[in-house]
Amino acid sequence: MKANECMKVLAKHRGDAVVVCALGMAANEWWAVTRSEDSFYMHGGMGLASTFALGLALAIPETPVWVINSDGGLCMNTGTLLTEAGQQPRNMKHFVVDNQCYQTVENMPMVNQDGADYTMMARGAGFQRAVTIDNLDELDRKLPEIVAAPGPYFIRLRIEAETDYQRAPPANYEGPEMKYRFGRAMEKKLGIKVFGPRGF
Amino acid sequence: MDVNDRIHAQLVKAGVKLAASLPDDWVNTLIRRVERGNEIRHVRVGREAETIAICAGAFFGGVRSVAIFGNTGLLTCTGEMATLCLRHMIPVFCIVSGRGSIDDHKVYQEVQGRRTIPLLQAYDYPYKIVDKDEEIDDIPNAYEWHRLQKRPFILFLTKKLLGTKA
Repeated sequence: MKANECMKVLAKHRGDAVVVCALGMAANEWWAVTRSEDSFYMHGGMGLASTFALGLALAIPETPVWVINSDGGLCMNTGTLLTEAGQQPRNMKHFVVDNQCYQTVENMPMVNQDGADYTMMARGAGFQRAVTIDNLDELDRKLPEIVAAPGPYFIRLRIEAETDYQRAPPANYEGPEMKYRFGRAMEKKLGIKVFGPRGF
Repeated sequence: MDVNDRIHAQLVKAGVKLAASLPDDWVNTLIRRVERGNEIRHVRVGREAETIAICAGAFFGGVRSVAIFGNTGLLTCTGEMATLCLRHMIPVFCIVSGRGSIDDHKVYQEVQGRRTIPLLQAYDYPYKIVDKDEEIDDIPNAYEWHRLQKRPFILFLTKKLLGTKA
């Protein structure tokens, strides 16, 4: 399946979930499909999207939190699977878009490109629920069950490497503005206080 | 109250509800103190940069948090602190063992002792070295101040303060 089509199916089943996207293809494609401001698009910290999402999930345990991680991000911080499994966050779903390459840097091959099974790694780390999905029909069919199940849930999404991809983040805001837009979106959506009375 | 009880009490006073940590023998007693109480939820991680990410994520859930780890980990994760926290102006409160000081004679702490402060200065990460017992009471103030700084802040605990034999 193609990344854009995959994101459209994920968006259809998202519900109230707050979404954290790894930098690169995951963030670019999710923005292109949803333009949602109650999603956090990492512009740095490669490898840390899922741990960031875990911190968020622990802070708002009544709200579903999805992370759309990248295979490159997961490879950079495989220990995140242990950290997440150690906490057993019931409100968290961990998607990984696996195209076996570093797409936004000219499709260079992923480390151990043909030999890694991230779903098995997640199980080994302590995830009781971990699946691989490689086509849109199956994704559309399984997502209601995945959404309804308690986390942590690991979902490896096998997608095609593409040559015509977003080379730069398509969102028209970045870094500091990302902080304030996302933080304000959390305040509005959840009725919480992210910022103090003087704005910091 | 011993020193770690007092640090814990001041973190609670500052409103901290979540801690992420990786062990270092100087801060292990503090980590155990956090685990023992029910005021602060504790998250064990696999490497220090994850403590930063946990705290950064919690920030957007409106939860105050603290990262606790050793100086070696600080040295290794300063770049990830920059690309995550400086890039997005996210405050993270770190409590770090001040390893490599003149009273720390472990050979594997030598580089940390010489290079950590210049590295923090290069990144413009603010820090405070807590060497005296009465300075522990400044933790709530430091917590408010670091939010205003909108970047990682490091509170170093010295061997003298902690009274550690390690």
